[in-house]
Amino acid sequence: MSCNTSVTHVHISSVSQAQRAPVHLMPCEIEHNGPAQVSQYLTATTKDRKYEKTVSFRGRGLKGQELSCPQGYTGLVLKEVVDKPGSDQEDRTVRVSSVFDKVTYWNLETPPNSDDTVVMAMDWPELAEAIHGPVED
Amino acid sequence: MDLSSFEMDNSVSCRLASQIPDVCRTEDCCLGIDEAGRGPVLGPMVYGICFCPVSRKEKLKELKVADSKTLTEAERERLFQKLDESRNYVGWALQILSPNTISTSMLQRTKYNLNALSHDTAIALVQYALDNGVQLKEVYVDTVGPAEKYQEKLSQRFPGIEVTVKPKADSLFPIVSAASICAKVARDRVVKGWKFNEDLGDVDPDYGSGYPNDPKTKAWLLKYLDPVFGYPQFVRFSWSTAQTLMDSKAVPVHWDDDEEDGEKAAQRQNNKSMLSYFSASAGGNDQSQTHKTHRFFTERRLRSLNTL
Amino acid sequence: MATKKKRAPSAQNDSWVVIAADSVIDTHKHDSNPAFVRLRNPSTDAASLYMLGSGDAQLYEVKAFEEDFHSWFVGQTVQRDGRLLFVTPMDPLYLILPYMIKSDKEGKFQPVHQVVMDEEFPACARLLSCTRSLASLNHIAEEKEAGGLKFHRYSQEKTLNWLKKKVERTVVVLKKRNISVGEGVKSTTYVRAKTESDCCEEDYLRYAHGLISEYISEDLSKALLRHLQLPELTSPKETEPPSKKRKLSDKPVKAGEDYTKFNSADFAWKPPKKMTAAQKTLAKVDKTGMKPMSSFFSPKVKTEK
Repeated sequence: MSCNTSVTHVHISSVSQAQRAPVHLMPCEIEHNGPAQVSQYLTATTKDRKYEKTVSFRGRGLKGQELSCPQGYTGLVLKEVVDKPGSDQEDRTVRVSSVFDKVTYWNLETPPNSDDTVVMAMDWPELAEAIHGPVED
Repeated sequence: MDLSSFEMDNSVSCRLASQIPDVCRTEDCCLGIDEAGRGPVLGPMVYGICFCPVSRKEKLKELKVADSKTLTEAERERLFQKLDESRNYVGWALQILSPNTISTSMLQRTKYNLNALSHDTAIALVQYALDNGVQLKEVYVDTVGPAEKYQEKLSQRFPGIEVTVKPKADSLFPIVSAASICAKVARDRVVKGWKFNEDLGDVDPDYGSGYPNDPKTKAWLLKYLDPVFGYPQFVRFSWSTAQTLMDSKAVPVHWDDDEEDGEKAAQRQNNKSMLSYFSASAGGNDQSQTHKTHRFFTERRLRSLNTL
Repeated sequence: MATKKKRAPSAQNDSWVVIAADSVIDTHKHDSNPAFVRLRNPSTDAASLYMLGSGDAQLYEVKAFEEDFHSWFVGQTVQRDGRLLFVTPMDPLYLILPYMIKSDKEGKFQPVHQVVMDEEFPACARLLSCTRSLASLNHIAEEKEAGGLKFHRYSQEKTLNWLKKKVERTVVVLKKRNISVGEGVKSTTYVRAKTESDCCEEDYLRYAHGLISEYISEDLSKALLRHLQLPELTSPKETEPPSKKRKLSDKPVKAGEDYTKFNSADFAWKPPKKMTAAQKTLAKVDKTGMKPMSSFFSPKVKTEK
């Protein structure tokens, strides 16, 4: 998509049919897109300890925690819809395939804490509201 | 031997122990250390200690304990029964290192090798006996590595105790044979009754001895390889057998400490935030050359996009 | 140990994990779909991704949280791309502003529809459909009405007052969220130069000014700094004890005019390919209490415009 005129449409009505799905942010790059037995391997072996969750992936120890979406925000997983042939080549279309309201993020060995970058990134919506909200006359 | 505390959570390591015989708190004692399940790619490694008064060494011999490897499983169970019946003068303690503990330790950022793990486990067990008032005077250890260094390490750690580290100690000293029997019985029982934490339905229990060269073990490892997760926690991911199979049949997974030696890893820990940000954004992106993003965004790894 | 495989290049993504303002998915309000569009970024002058929603009534900014070596599990699937996209409401005035400033060269009142045009980014005309755009143009322009038509002319004075209010709003939230605005980087390796309680009002103002500057041109950013009565930090000399500096680098420190260097100082530099022995030593020493590292190396990143 090099052309500035191309647009990606979001079929937003698909949100009503979207499944609520657990999402995990993993501290490694998994070179694959597709099915994975997440509940059988990851969820089933996750331990809820006092201040953290623990699990292992590929023999490496992970520590993590749940993070809620900022207030007024919803998690969406968008998936590209391959357009029928003959339709506009330039524009793309995505639909909402899953929704979530919390993220479980995992660190490699390090206990989760408030300095973790993904926790800090959740500051953004409220700062954005300050920067972009309307000012009084 | 009640394994329920390990079976409740077989992803972590666990200590099991007999009662401490009263006589061991009043008389000079000897203690043997041995391990079971060092080589297999499956299941836990078990460290065992067994101790009794020095004065009862001969009596222990009469039990005809021998190196656990020369015995059948049935014989080991029978001998363990005998040891258990001698609980008025023989005590034991075990440390079960779960395969998950072995994997995550050996694959840790700052690698924790199997020898160090073994030594630390053995030391902790001796300390356990001391903490419980066992009057230790002699310690006998079976070893696979160089005996001298290990003996020196243990002697320094436990001054006043005569330490003997010897290859094949399990066939030379009955107290070591006894320890090896305890460890091996525990390992066999744990492997046999392994409860998979993964939700895999009925798992084929025909995994053989667990040694990498056992055809049954090999076949099992091929059958239970998951392309994303690799293996259940029953498998030691740090074994080259498992790694090789995953490299050829599972999807590649990359970690931020791949291809790093210790020094690089330490550097990375120090500079991670800065450098990973730049390596991620180095290859062409939307930001013009002169524009510098505010640190609110760089610290949070937030950037604008020019395409989805 | 395991053979470490090289990372294969990633194919084009076909799925994205997003955190979006609820208004994006509020399907009752409107029947047209939101769309990702590319518009001219007012700060970089290059293309950036935005979203128009609610039948173009609302503009959104798109930012990606992106760290190397991350992937997602979503339900029973794996997604290699580990980015997390944020879609947050955005003030369309920031995007309209550069067009207003550009048209001001002619110095006359013009219909805004003739001003907000861009051959390269045709979608920019849609910005004027945003509910807030026309209603809030008075923040950045003088308005005249003639024959039932409205005409506008850019006003820097109005714009600076508007931006000042933006800065003040931002300061409030920075304080509320306890965001570290001192010179020290919030990181385990760099001990903060000042603790939160030491942070003075100026630190907050400068930090907020830096954030707002992400949405305006460099010239306007400098003007805003003056408007906020904050002195421009022209050279590291002012903040750096000279003795320390001389010891650490034998290269002259360039006096950058660019205030933004101070906002992003700790990240703006790239280490030179080859470090001198002194610099290597420096890299190893405890950085506690030291000043931004950019002052130790001549800022290679910046220069030609």
